[in-house]
Amino acid sequence: MKYVCSICGYVYDDSAEGIPFSELSDSWVCPLCGAAKSLFSPPKTTAGSITPARTDPTEAAPARTTAAHSTEEMHRLTAGELSALCSNLARGCEKQYKNEEAGLFREIAAYFAAVTPDEPDGDLTHLLSLFENDLTTGYPAVQSAAQTAGDRGTQRVCVWGQKVTVILNSLVQRYQREGSAFLRNTQIWVCSVCGFAYVGNTPPELCPVCKVPAWKFDKIEGRNSA
Amino acid sequence: MKTRIAVRNLRLCTKDCLCLYVCPTGATDTEDSIIDISKCTGCGDCADACPGGAISMVPLEYPPQQKKEDSVLTESYRMIKNKATQEKTAAQIAASTDDDALYRLMTAVARSVRLVNEDLLRESGYMLPQSGNTHALLHEWAENPPADDFPVEAARKLLELIPDNDA
Ligand code: SF4
Ligand code: SF4
Ligand SMILES: [Fe+2]
Repeated sequence: MKYVCSICGYVYDDSAEGIPFSELSDSWVCPLCGAAKSLFSPPKTTAGSITPARTDPTEAAPARTTAAHSTEEMHRLTAGELSALCSNLARGCEKQYKNEEAGLFREIAAYFAAVTPDEPDGDLTHLLSLFENDLTTGYPAVQSAAQTAGDRGTQRVCVWGQKVTVILNSLVQRYQREGSAFLRNTQIWVCSVCGFAYVGNTPPELCPVCKVPAWKFDKIEGRNSA
Repeated sequence: MKTRIAVRNLRLCTKDCLCLYVCPTGATDTEDSIIDISKCTGCGDCADACPGGAISMVPLEYPPQQKKEDSVLTESYRMIKNKATQEKTAAQIAASTDDDALYRLMTAVARSVRLVNEDLLRESGYMLPQSGNTHALLHEWAENPPADDFPVEAARKLLELIPDNDA
């Protein structure tokens, strides 16, 4: 029997390993990307699958007729959303080597972050329910709309974002189950490109989600370390 | 008229200095390793010569942004809202905990979710700082700042610095 990691594609082959997959402890994680055991499944199942959806190449080219995103839509963006919008634009400027512009967008992003009101339900249970929401309804909805529209960019965002959300969800669940022990004496790393989070002494050689090298990972410092 | 300029990625540059020999204007020969854009003519010889792929030819003008379907935007913006809430929730938990492990985990979650949200927004009409969407926002902020302490000068400056490709 074979089991495939839904995050990075690592294959656990019962016949090649000493211990059958089913007998591995629940705290066992993917040796490549750190995904929980529950994120493995036999090859080619469809249930809860987060494999990238493929665009049908025979599909007609999308009609690119929509006008620019309407101003009414923008008015509805909250401070938290506008902060992310501006830090995204700052990154866009950085890619174009426009450092002054990037700094100005970062300034506006910091303003919006500072005025973002507190969430009334600011606890782990609420956080987990928000992840759950994205995984069960949010991503499938975006994915199918993007597929229908032939929007490859948005499909790519879904593939990365969904995997990252699955990992965050599983880390937070693990914390709720086991407490902080699994994070003691080790580090948490975040891929600065796609957001993939990894627990370990050193970051993975390649990001299992977006494939950038280890140096693109940032170590998350504790409160007291400078 | 030049349509592009050379930019050196200092991280990839191995200081072999081939680019020094090929540049017709000496633009690559600077004490801080940053290519002098006022001298650069955009010929691309340095990028071709660089053995480390450390020089990119960056366009001075960008094409109009690709349009997105409303059906996709509607779903994406719902997700964007959710991601912003997740980020804030994680940041709040980080700020209020005494447990260093939880602090790091929630800081990681907030950072990670922010990156995912930036990616969503980039694909939802805000890929290019030069887009009409970005300009509409900047105009709005420059003319009607959302609050007294909003950094309105930053918005004004950005309008000066960044052209509107969809205009
Ligand atoms: S040729 Fe490339 S690697 Fe060598 S100094 Fe110039 S930029 Fe750096
Ligand atoms: S593009 Fe041409 S002019 Fe500009 S730095 Fe490179 S070699 Fe020099
Ligand atoms: Fe990544």
